[in-house]
Amino acid sequence: EKLLLQAPARARGRLCRAGAAPGAARGERSAAGSRRRPGPARHGALDYPHVQIPFEITLWILLASLAKIGFHLYHKLPSIVPESCLLILVGLLLGGIIFGAEEKSPPVMNSDVFFLYLLPPIVLDAGYFMPTRLFFENFGTIFWYAVVGTLWNAIGIGISLYGICQISAFGLTDITLLQNLLFGSLISAVDPVAVLAVFENIHVNEQLYILVFGESLLNDAITVVLYNLFKSFCQMRTIKVIDIFAGIANFFIVGIGGVLIGILLGFVAAFTTRFTHKIRVIEPLFVFLYSYLSYITAEMFHLSGIMAITSCAMTMNKYVEENVSQKSYTTIKYFMKMLSSVSETLIFIFMGVSTVGKNHEWNWAFVSFTLLFCLIWRALGVFVLTQIINVFRTIPLTFKDQFIIAYGGLRGAICFSLVFLLPPAVFPRKKLFITAVIVVIFFTVFIQGITIRPLVEFLDVKRSNKKQPAVSEEIYNRFFDHVKTGIEDVCGHWGHNFWRDKFKKFDNKYLRRLLIRENQPKSSIVSLYKKLEIKHAIEMAESGMISKVPSSVSLSDYHEGKIKPLSPTEMENMREILTKNLYQIRHRTMSYNRHSLAADASEKQAKEILIRRRHSLRESLRKTNSLSRERPAAANTKRFLSLPKNTKLPEKLRVRNKTSSRVGDSSDSDLDAATTVLNLRPRAGKILREQRLRQQRPLPEFRVEWKNEVDGSQDGRGEQQDPSTLPQPSIGFRQPLLTRPRFGTLSREDLTADHGSARPMPPPRLVRQASQGDRQRNKPENQPY
Amino acid sequence: KMFSDTAFVRDESQEDITTEHSVSHSQITRLYSRFTSLDKGENGTLSREDFQRIPELAINPLGDRIINAFFPEGEDQVNFRGFMRTLAHFRPIEDNEKSKDQNGPEPLNSRSNKLHFAFRLYDLDKDDKISRDELLQVLRMMVGVNISDEQLGSIADRTIQEADQDGDSAISFAEFVKVLEKVDVEQKMSIRFLH
Repeated sequence: EKLLLQAPARARGRLCRAGAAPGAARGERSAAGSRRRPGPARHGALDYPHVQIPFEITLWILLASLAKIGFHLYHKLPSIVPESCLLILVGLLLGGIIFGAEEKSPPVMNSDVFFLYLLPPIVLDAGYFMPTRLFFENFGTIFWYAVVGTLWNAIGIGISLYGICQISAFGLTDITLLQNLLFGSLISAVDPVAVLAVFENIHVNEQLYILVFGESLLNDAITVVLYNLFKSFCQMRTIKVIDIFAGIANFFIVGIGGVLIGILLGFVAAFTTRFTHKIRVIEPLFVFLYSYLSYITAEMFHLSGIMAITSCAMTMNKYVEENVSQKSYTTIKYFMKMLSSVSETLIFIFMGVSTVGKNHEWNWAFVSFTLLFCLIWRALGVFVLTQIINVFRTIPLTFKDQFIIAYGGLRGAICFSLVFLLPPAVFPRKKLFITAVIVVIFFTVFIQGITIRPLVEFLDVKRSNKKQPAVSEEIYNRFFDHVKTGIEDVCGHWGHNFWRDKFKKFDNKYLRRLLIRENQPKSSIVSLYKKLEIKHAIEMAESGMISKVPSSVSLSDYHEGKIKPLSPTEMENMREILTKNLYQIRHRTMSYNRHSLAADASEKQAKEILIRRRHSLRESLRKTNSLSRERPAAANTKRFLSLPKNTKLPEKLRVRNKTSSRVGDSSDSDLDAATTVLNLRPRAGKILREQRLRQQRPLPEFRVEWKNEVDGSQDGRGEQQDPSTLPQPSIGFRQPLLTRPRFGTLSREDLTADHGSARPMPPPRLVRQASQGDRQRNKPENQPY
Repeated sequence: KMFSDTAFVRDESQEDITTEHSVSHSQITRLYSRFTSLDKGENGTLSREDFQRIPELAINPLGDRIINAFFPEGEDQVNFRGFMRTLAHFRPIEDNEKSKDQNGPEPLNSRSNKLHFAFRLYDLDKDDKISRDELLQVLRMMVGVNISDEQLGSIADRTIQEADQDGDSAISFAEFVKVLEKVDVEQKMSIRFLH
């Protein structure tokens, strides 16, 4: 452990020595390693020093991950106690063991290791998953809270602590103002991950989410910059006014410089991924390499690495998402989460380990006043800042929001490592600072982290309506929300923002052409379209999971006028069922969780909705007599498999497509086909009538037609019938909606192939049969089986 | 394009729209550019396909209904006026509007008209009643696959029961308004940038 943590240079050298002869490396070993006799290796003997570093690293990470498994064993635990608490406890335990076993202080985290290896993944993760649009829309507020808030906190805490130190009774008079200011700056770094976890279950103002998230990101950068500023001041003998101004200027240079480096490298990364379609396997590597490069480049120039890596990730995100393959995209996301999760875990465990030991100095006054001032200044700061910023905001922040922001000011890893970075020469009372920081972190993480959720729920409940809500209320509320979201989507996304529109134009004209391989449709919803694996769709269809339009069964059971009154428990049941099952409003901000990727639920929902719509539209398609099945116009570009392109559409509908489906043309061309499938003149009244009609007809009729069709098609081809394209008649009445998916790009031949020779294309044939089906309705062979 | 932005402003007498719906000039310009960007056929009107090209709408459970709301009865195309007309329902209600002009036609974004808009989304056959069928339709659209028909049926029954006052097992517009009297419709059906 000592080797690992206190001699990173040597460790790195060791790790790099890939092919070097064992003899050469031996000289590098420290005294702690044992000496190895030259000569042939003795099998069975323990050669621990040889593998010590990687072994220990692996063991630490393994331990951390096992601890995580342990937490989730009891499923309620993570929701009550934030993971960070649990990790610190594990660290404490471990520290205690080491201390007890060896009677000396456990290793302390080397700040190089922290800043070079452990911090970047966390910041990268936060930056990559930041919803950029929302971030920039709220940028003013975020910037306001991050910069002004941090300054407020830092200076406030510093000055008030200095005031306390002046009181000679506490024995702190040797701590200078500058030292206090430095301490204030490092302790004002807020790490709200625990708070973000709480957000998932509370209804929060959507803006709040991005505020807390964005603030934490900028906040980190600003703290580090401030810290370096004050540290350099501390080490100067005299400080002139000019130095202060230089400091402020430096502040801006560092921040903006970091951002520029990040953006530059982000563009380079995006450009690189434009050409990676032949080497998909290493696509994720580019993302990580470029981001890390931006971090260390910025650090090299003494600029803000955090800002660099954040801006790199945010820049890269949009373009890379479209250039890389689906699998690479998933890999990137998951790997990023994995790295950041591991980093965070290690940090917290180290925190626990480092707490046990002899590098503490306890001073009641200093520690308790630090804690007090942290809380007070945070609350004051949030309050005052909010009052000011609410004037400029269209959606003001409520009291509950402010409470969450203020109370959610947990301290975390950054303060912890910054305090260890303090040069002891300048800070004779470093141990005191360490103790104070640890106390603050423990308090905020444990007490505030655990209590924030119940408090917020209490606030929520307090202000919500006391009377029992009606069952229908949730339905109506959700209904309105969906309608509103829909209309907002029709109107398009607006910033009232001249710059944003300008940027978008610039983006479309130049950047996208340069950085994106094929100019494919843009929004993330569209990539959602693409992501819908057709295989899943078919599986769902065939297993009957497609939701039903009100089937004839339930409607025929309905007796007019006999609605029985419901008991309270039944009502409660209903409400519960509704709450669980009503579709969520499409959130523009995905909830951020360092420990998981939350996109799956909404993807599932989107899948269901899309499938159901296609299903019902296919029904209407079948009823329409005017549709004739003809050979579809060829799609003239290779496209990734997207649902509608694979479907042969009646010629009539395809005509509309022709004008706009040219290569690299309007970005929505990929969707044109999608819409034609979905559209097909869905007059609502017509659908309703059709459904009423269908209720009166025996349902299995459709199945029969399909079966006939498939049998017929089999004669005409010698090709192997893919069994899964055939519907399983025994499973409900669902037909597969589409042909068997073909993964990868569709080549031209597939689409232009004559329908007779290629795989069967169910929908058009069903269409044709529909009209015949009417005639055949009464034939005996069409009785349902 | 048939209209450039300025041409539109001149030709289409946007003052009509401004006064009719009290939408500001800059908003009209923005919405017009949105309209034209949706209008792929470039013939000055939108069809249903154009709406369905909006991907976010495709995964909105009520997407189809919302799209239908834009089209007047029996028509397949909507021009910009019609587009604005529908959107005007979602303009936020300003306080100073509430008291003025009781004699003029009720503005489209009044509470009553907003509710009427919502009611029409349920009531497809336009008989001024939301029948159990229609309610079930909408419910089914809004709900996941895990609810059985029976459960959904009883939820629909309960919803009707809570709203129905004249015992006809359907929800009339008046009953709809009554059941929503505590709901802040003005806020729920207002889009702030349509000021």
